[in-house]
Amino acid sequence: MSATLEIRGLCKSFGGIVVADSIDLDLTAGRVLGLIGPNGAGKTSLFNLVCGVVKPDAGSIVLDGQSLEALPTYERARMGLARTWQNLRLFPSLSVMDNLMLGPRSYSADSLMDVFFRPSQIRAHEAEARDRALDILERTGLSPIAQSRVQDISFGQQKLVGVARALMNDARCLMLDEPMAGVEGQTYALIQKAVRDIAASGVAICVVEHNVAFIRDLCDEGVFMFAGKVLARGSVEQLINDPHLTELYFGT
Amino acid sequence: MDYVFTILILIGLFVILASSFDLVIGHCGLISIAHPIFYAIGAYISAMLSKQSGMPIPLSILCGGVGALLASALVAVPALRVSGDYLLIASIGFQLGLIELAKHFHEIGGAGGLTNIPSFLIKDFGRESYVVLVLVLAVATVLFIRWLTQGPYGRMMTAMRDDELAFSMLGRNAIWVKVAVFAIGSGIAGIAGGLYAHYFRFLEPDQFGLLQSSAVLTMVVVGGMRTTMGPVIGAIVLQLMPQIITFFNLPPSILGPLQGLLFTGLVLFFMFVRPQGLLPAADLWVGRNRDGDAGHSRKEARS
Ligand SMILES: Nc1ncnc2c1ncn2[C@@H]1O[C@H](COP(=O)(O)OP(=O)(O)O)[C@@H](O)[C@H]1O
Ligand SMILES: [Mg+2]
Repeated sequence: MSATLEIRGLCKSFGGIVVADSIDLDLTAGRVLGLIGPNGAGKTSLFNLVCGVVKPDAGSIVLDGQSLEALPTYERARMGLARTWQNLRLFPSLSVMDNLMLGPRSYSADSLMDVFFRPSQIRAHEAEARDRALDILERTGLSPIAQSRVQDISFGQQKLVGVARALMNDARCLMLDEPMAGVEGQTYALIQKAVRDIAASGVAICVVEHNVAFIRDLCDEGVFMFAGKVLARGSVEQLINDPHLTELYFGT
Repeated sequence: MDYVFTILILIGLFVILASSFDLVIGHCGLISIAHPIFYAIGAYISAMLSKQSGMPIPLSILCGGVGALLASALVAVPALRVSGDYLLIASIGFQLGLIELAKHFHEIGGAGGLTNIPSFLIKDFGRESYVVLVLVLAVATVLFIRWLTQGPYGRMMTAMRDDELAFSMLGRNAIWVKVAVFAIGSGIAGIAGGLYAHYFRFLEPDQFGLLQSSAVLTMVVVGGMRTTMGPVIGAIVLQLMPQIITFFNLPPSILGPLQGLLFTGLVLFFMFVRPQGLLPAADLWVGRNRDGDAGHSRKEARS
């Protein structure tokens, strides 16, 4: 089975800091890969490289057989790449609902010609997106706060909105950057369930997370990153019980 | 009476300018103050086309709008590809450079100005008809911008202003949105320029410099950015105020400085006391179609 996302020989350094040191990584449809490593290991940088937010020094990134390196961020998203952000990056001037409405790969008003000359097409497109958003809001338990401003809801709910917004893409590959940091209780269970459901629908998922229980519950496999290098790949149990990796993770 | 007509026309033109400028700087968050240069481009193109080749004036005004739209894209595409901040520098450079260039072009009147621009409507239907034309187009502009910013395009501009990176990651093309909105705003300014040219029948390059940039900016800031009526109120207040002072029969030696002082004072006052302007914008974007209604229609469709 070929990988949904194939990363080969990816390199990047900022001045002297190496954040990606010839990384090879495959993400497979329907499987959840946990990305584990201490702060500063280069996990977020890897996401930024894959999304085109940061340009690599070398290496290739292929999504569903198509090379991504030359494409700007928005085109990668339109090909089915979605992510959440460690620091959320929601739109504070929009309601929860409108945050989601901007998420589909193809947006109602992407073409100005449609805006001016095909109002019925815009309406149909908007209605379709709205139905999809309502569906995702229902599945993630966010329906009651659909019209709220994002700064009026709890931090856990904001995290969930970030995930819900990424889900609007109907992605082939989804990358979640610390979805559980600062989340507890009911929201924890909701995020967990959401990620499980997406994986079951055949999406390739990569999760950066420090919460060991979450990683162990959810991930089919884990990768340990340190100083821009992938040091080990294996079952999550294997990785978290490796004394050498544990030492690197917690420092000495 | 002609005096009142002229004031009304100026108010109408500045409503168009301030509203379209608010689309660019307020709604889209593009930092540029070169709006008057696109007003100038529209004015000169329309004036020259009707004067030299006898083109029907409605058509020449339209060509002026298209010319301004294209010129703005010419500035915005390279500038915005570098970065959003670069637009301010590139557009001011374009504005001042073009004004200097126009001064040395005798075919368009040079520094002395372009005279004998053909008039429109006034000979046949009187000045009232021109007032009606300008005011109707002013209202149409305000309604058009409200329509655009309260629809799905407005949702895009709002999100892009909030967080451009997150916006791009959703698959939206930020550069294209910026270029498009800049071009639309500038095209509208170009049409206003044509309307100006065929009423006043005289154009001179220096009219469209930084003084006018600051006047339009002041209108938007004083009225209230990102509101439908803010730029309208700003344009009316700032057009009328200098006129009102002239009624006090002050000697010209006092009048000029007084007007300047008033403008400066107004900007300072609003910057410190009421930065949101007379009409503050809501901090939550609400589109035309409330989502609640859509929720209903969906349930109905399912049952
Ligand atoms: N744009 C950047 N410029 C300079 N250094 C950066 C940049 N982005 C990340 N870094 C550095 O790269 C290293 C890895 O950061 P990051 O990828 O955020 O780690 P992680 O997500 O694993 O905690 C850190 O030392 C960070 O300071
Ligand atoms: Mg990180």
